Amino acid sequence: MAVEKRVTSPLLEPSSIEKVAEVDDHVGVAMSGLTADARTLIDHGRVESQQHRFTYNEPMPLESLTQSLCDLALRFGEDEEGEAGMSRPFGVALLVAGWDAEGGPVLFHTDPSGTYVKYEAKAIGSGSEGAQTALQESYRKDMTLKEAEVLALSTLKQVMEEKVTATNVDIARVAPKWHLYTPEEVEEVIARL
Amino acid sequence: MADQGGFSFDLCKRNEFMEARGMKGPGFTKTGTTIAGVIFKDGVVLGADTRSTAGTTVADKNCEKIHYIAPNIYCCGAGTAADTENVTGMVASQLELHRYATGTQSRVITSMTLLKSHLFKYQGHVSAALVLGGVDFRGPHLFTVYPHGSTDSLPFCTMGSGSLNAMAVFESGYKDDMTKEEAMDLVARAIRSGIFNDLGSGSNVDLCVITKEGVDYKRNHEFLQGKPYERQFPQKFATGSVPVVRERVFDVRRAVTVVEGEPMEMEG
Amino acid sequence: MAASLPMRATVPAAGSGVKQHASWSPYDDNGGTVVAVAGDDYCVVAASTRMSTGYSILTRNKSKILTFNPKCLIASAGMQADMETLHKVLHSRHVTYQFNHRRPMGCQAMAQLLSNTLYHKRFFPYYTFNLCAGLDEQGRGAVYTYDAIGSYERVGYGCQGSGKELIQPVLDNQLKAASPLVLPAQQWLSSLPLEQAVDLVKGAFVSAGERDIYTGDDVEILILTKDGIRTDKLELKRD
Repeated sequence: MAVEKRVTSPLLEPSSIEKVAEVDDHVGVAMSGLTADARTLIDHGRVESQQHRFTYNEPMPLESLTQSLCDLALRFGEDEEGEAGMSRPFGVALLVAGWDAEGGPVLFHTDPSGTYVKYEAKAIGSGSEGAQTALQESYRKDMTLKEAEVLALSTLKQVMEEKVTATNVDIARVAPKWHLYTPEEVEEVIARL
Repeated sequence: MADQGGFSFDLCKRNEFMEARGMKGPGFTKTGTTIAGVIFKDGVVLGADTRSTAGTTVADKNCEKIHYIAPNIYCCGAGTAADTENVTGMVASQLELHRYATGTQSRVITSMTLLKSHLFKYQGHVSAALVLGGVDFRGPHLFTVYPHGSTDSLPFCTMGSGSLNAMAVFESGYKDDMTKEEAMDLVARAIRSGIFNDLGSGSNVDLCVITKEGVDYKRNHEFLQGKPYERQFPQKFATGSVPVVRERVFDVRRAVTVVEGEPMEMEG
Repeated sequence: MAASLPMRATVPAAGSGVKQHASWSPYDDNGGTVVAVAGDDYCVVAASTRMSTGYSILTRNKSKILTFNPKCLIASAGMQADMETLHKVLHSRHVTYQFNHRRPMGCQAMAQLLSNTLYHKRFFPYYTFNLCAGLDEQGRGAVYTYDAIGSYERVGYGCQGSGKELIQPVLDNQLKAASPLVLPAQQWLSSLPLEQAVDLVKGAFVSAGERDIYTGDDVEILILTKDGIRTDKLELKRD
């Protein structure tokens, strides 16, 4: 997963913008939209995933996790008392990426309607149309991790207005464990573009 | 002390103290049992299973529960194995002495009275539940003796944990004046009912038929079920599996000297 | 003042003021024995089918095994009512799991779930003694053994119930499986070929049937391999 962190002011601290997050050590999400809303979803996903580990001593299957996020997304407007109720839908789309014990790597896309769809490669956000076309042209099933890093970052680069640097993009992988790239690792991928 | 006879209560105080401090006393072998008897036309048939248990484990798979009292009297025992064995043994020897003294055949009612007075004296602490049967000059007799010392005289009776199972068979199958074969079959069926339906009873059927002609003690009258499964891969130990570590031969003759005996002086 | 104090504090009689039946217990032991042996590519699970209380047999034909799927089952001894409830709970959890995750529950997931389910009733336990058995992700035999309140451990073979004191030492002797805690790690699966393991289990049950009054009638045997579940039956003495 590669994400652009739009640095809107020179005074802004780029490392404080979080657009990818770890849900469990086998699941990560990338977000687009109201990232504050995503926090609620991520917190929910983290609890669900831990709950599953506690109950079954195994990592939660990706689809089940995505389903539980979408269930929460649809819970707005229900007549719960006081603070607990949600007045509006979540204004955020997510890419849920992870590793299933039997199926290997999996990617899901969720949107504010609570719909989820499985993808092999997916782009979301303001530049998603162009990026999706680029992915369709270049994606291959048999890509190595290094090739996938280059594809993700170059796709992002094509639709970004700014120049790609180690401060305005984040890269994360789940292969098979979650890892958020350090600035040095990002530099290394940029160098391969 | 010992020549006084009776139980020794020497250690009761000590045991009471130790139990108060949390010690647990030893367990006893109970014969969770099916025993039964019927009177038929010319005698008595006694029956018993052969399982003895210690808690929920089987202590003996083929024990004897029909005890000798006199040549014409036998007694089935249920309860604590030691109590039934000793109480019948004590009565048997008292009757033996009585016969030496009187030269008459022992009567069933005498043995019953000896048993009940002993049991009553111990207020149920001697836990023997008995089915006593025999034939004397007055004919066949059958009694049950309870651990507290009460008795019943009945044409058919059962005792032990399987008594209800056996009694069910008796209640449905008993007739007055049965033949020996009918009576044996009925008692065997009653015991079998206990063996299969009562967990305290098991293994085989022992019968004892007493008539005025004599006693026919049928040990393992019915031998029920052999091993239900033969191992396909039994564990075999080759000869030499256990090594001889050391061998020592000892000549007894070197340590023992045989001295010629002196004849015993018989007269003063 | 101190002189007037009693030497010992007086303890009020237990449950003072509250009238209660002292001799009543919510628990009963219905007996029965369960055994499981894990092999390199199989798992043998066996359970006696007698159900008793006190000195009475309630039935000669009560299954103690709940099969969830071809790779996972549990076998329980102890109190039948609690076993029934536990099996019902776990069955329902397994069905929901399949709805939620679109796959049958694996053996280790069931093992953890069983532990949690038992511990959930830590202070009013299910009076059951369980084995969870099946095949793991790699297709090897798996056996998990439990106490009544959910402490569990993966083992190479296990035995629970009224005949465990008689059978466990025989299995220890014949299977020589090391504890998974022994370091360095040792092979803890039974190295016996399947047929010999089944024979050993049958032999153990015959012996237990001879000496344990609560083990008898029949033994239900399930053999789990990659090809599915095969069943076998052994008749024991009925006394």
